[in-house]
Amino acid sequence: MVKSQDLLTEVESKELLKKAGIPVVEAKLARSKKEAVSLSREMGFPVVLKISSPDVVHKSDSGGVKLGLANAAQVGKAYSEIVSSIKKAYPQAQIDGVSVQAMAPPGVEVIVGMSKDAQFGPVLMFGLGGILVEVLKDVSFRIVPVTERDAREMVKEIKGYPVLQGYRGQKPASIPALEQLIVKVSQFVEKNPQIKELDLNPIFAYPDKAVAVDARIILE
Amino acid sequence: MFEEKLKEFEPIFYPESIAVVGVSATSIKAGSLWVMDLRSAGFPGAIYPVGSSGGRIGDLEIFPNLRLVPGEVDYVIVAIPRQSVLELLDDCAAKNVKAVHFFTAGFSETDTQQGRKLEEQMLEKTRQGNMRIIGPNCIGVYCPEHRIPFLMGILGEDGSVGFVSQSGGIATKLATIGIARHINYSKGVSFGNGIDLDASDFLQYLAADPKTKVIGAYLEGTRDGARLFSTMKAVAKIKPLIVWKGGRTEAGAKAAMSHTGSLASSATIWSAMLKQVGAIEAHSLEELTDTLLIFQRLGHGRGTRAAIIGGLADGGGGNSVAAGDACLENGLSVPPLSFETKQKLSELLGEVGSILCNPVDVSQAQFRGLATLLQAIDLVVRDTISDIVLIQEDIEILLPIYSQKGLEEINGFLIELAGMQNKPIIVVLPPGSVEAERLRIERKLLAASIPVFSSMERAARAIYRLNQYCCRREAS
Repeated sequence: MVKSQDLLTEVESKELLKKAGIPVVEAKLARSKKEAVSLSREMGFPVVLKISSPDVVHKSDSGGVKLGLANAAQVGKAYSEIVSSIKKAYPQAQIDGVSVQAMAPPGVEVIVGMSKDAQFGPVLMFGLGGILVEVLKDVSFRIVPVTERDAREMVKEIKGYPVLQGYRGQKPASIPALEQLIVKVSQFVEKNPQIKELDLNPIFAYPDKAVAVDARIILE
Repeated sequence: MFEEKLKEFEPIFYPESIAVVGVSATSIKAGSLWVMDLRSAGFPGAIYPVGSSGGRIGDLEIFPNLRLVPGEVDYVIVAIPRQSVLELLDDCAAKNVKAVHFFTAGFSETDTQQGRKLEEQMLEKTRQGNMRIIGPNCIGVYCPEHRIPFLMGILGEDGSVGFVSQSGGIATKLATIGIARHINYSKGVSFGNGIDLDASDFLQYLAADPKTKVIGAYLEGTRDGARLFSTMKAVAKIKPLIVWKGGRTEAGAKAAMSHTGSLASSATIWSAMLKQVGAIEAHSLEELTDTLLIFQRLGHGRGTRAAIIGGLADGGGGNSVAAGDACLENGLSVPPLSFETKQKLSELLGEVGSILCNPVDVSQAQFRGLATLLQAIDLVVRDTISDIVLIQEDIEILLPIYSQKGLEEINGFLIELAGMQNKPIIVVLPPGSVEAERLRIERKLLAASIPVFSSMERAARAIYRLNQYCCRREAS
């Protein structure tokens, strides 16, 4: 667990990213079951609910995420379940509520992240998302500032590149959209030196665009 | 770019006078060795030994104090205990010295408060005195052109390869391997703790230096990553830059909360950084020197199409197959010989038992005499299907067939051919059972600027790195 003020919530993180022109699936905070239902209606079903707590880093591991909720009844039930399982897993955690967002249609999952190197400062990482990033470590790095050319090389460098081009009838990911997103993240972290680490994980890449579905920002 | 460095660094690489502090008339000290090395190297400027003992070293007078040296002093080599370095810097300032090289160790590298504090004080005095520092804890500069050797009198031929090294041991190895393999250096430097001049400064100088065509570097870390990053980016645009990063497996993974943080090890980041700036990464001393050797000979020319002669006598078949693999796996193409060349070769060798494709097996020539072998080599080298020719010689096989005299002739012919044809010939001489003879041939070829490698893989990998560089340049 981290100190509360260091870890921005998903809602806060996405707000900052959106302001910087980085495409995100917008998320809003619901402080009650009732609020969750009305936000879901506003955003349109199906929706996703996620725990909003500065103390919970791995949300899905502890039952803090519910996907594909199709109606108000499902949203209400999911709200209670999330809150109770987090209370069980992290009795000390401060719970702000749950974040509500539209369920993004499936795309190619990728990750873009930033961490700070002791010698070279902020570095960006790109890779295929999901378990591939953890198991295969099929990722590429570049030092900030990342130019368009660097971004192009980063995307091409990973072994999973053919997956992005649309493998076996799967829809391809827009490579230019990914490159632009990487460059924008580079500009964003350059302007905000107080950011210590950042994960856009996953990003869903589609044939015409790429959108961050989840985001996490950790401050110095 | 960086032209201002040329004038600034002139007193470092081309000093008119050098004072060596820490010389004794009676006992052998590092300072005494430096004086003798400079003398025997034929350093063209004035050499002033300094040491409290006074007296003489060889035919030179030892001055008890730097201030008592009669003439001007450009450059000072310091080999005295660290307690005396601050006082010495005052003497240097009084003498208007331009640059001071500290061989003396025992500073921040010992990880003590005292060591770090001393470095800060040294730096302050240097700034006040308008001087530059090389080191401390290093063996300083190497400049064959200006007859400045490394310690122990190491001095090779003057050439076009520049290097920087954080480590004195690696710097010495680079210089000695250079002597053995005819990698000829324009300049080299070991900068140790680099409290004033560090890798970035020397890289900028080498980028501007007209004598330097390619730059090698051994680095372990940096105090100013942002500066090194931007410097390397600029330098690699001007000249090929090959970097070996030492200490890739550092322990102590930091606690990271993001995926990115946990995957970003220091080695990974260095590799990414080198790619990003357009440098070529080497992973060992072997790779670094192999690559420097290839760049020295091939310059910026690409060599992607290889003609391979896997063996000059028996045993060429398997070697040819392995050689083909090594080349193809390293991004070289091995195109078939032209119809004309094939026809001429089969007239010359007969088709039986010889593979007249590429890789070429010319072992049939052994039954038709030396002249036939030379003609066959000539045909392969002249074929326009290749940019580069790789020839493997297994000396223990060739020696009994062609005798020492025949070997002389074969290699003399290769040297002649390489000079005539505007196409690089690279020779692979695998170690075997007749090492003395093999080494003799290796030296002869290297002295005639033919790159020699101990295996096809090493040769192919070095060429691969050259092609990578050229490819990236063309893309930008």
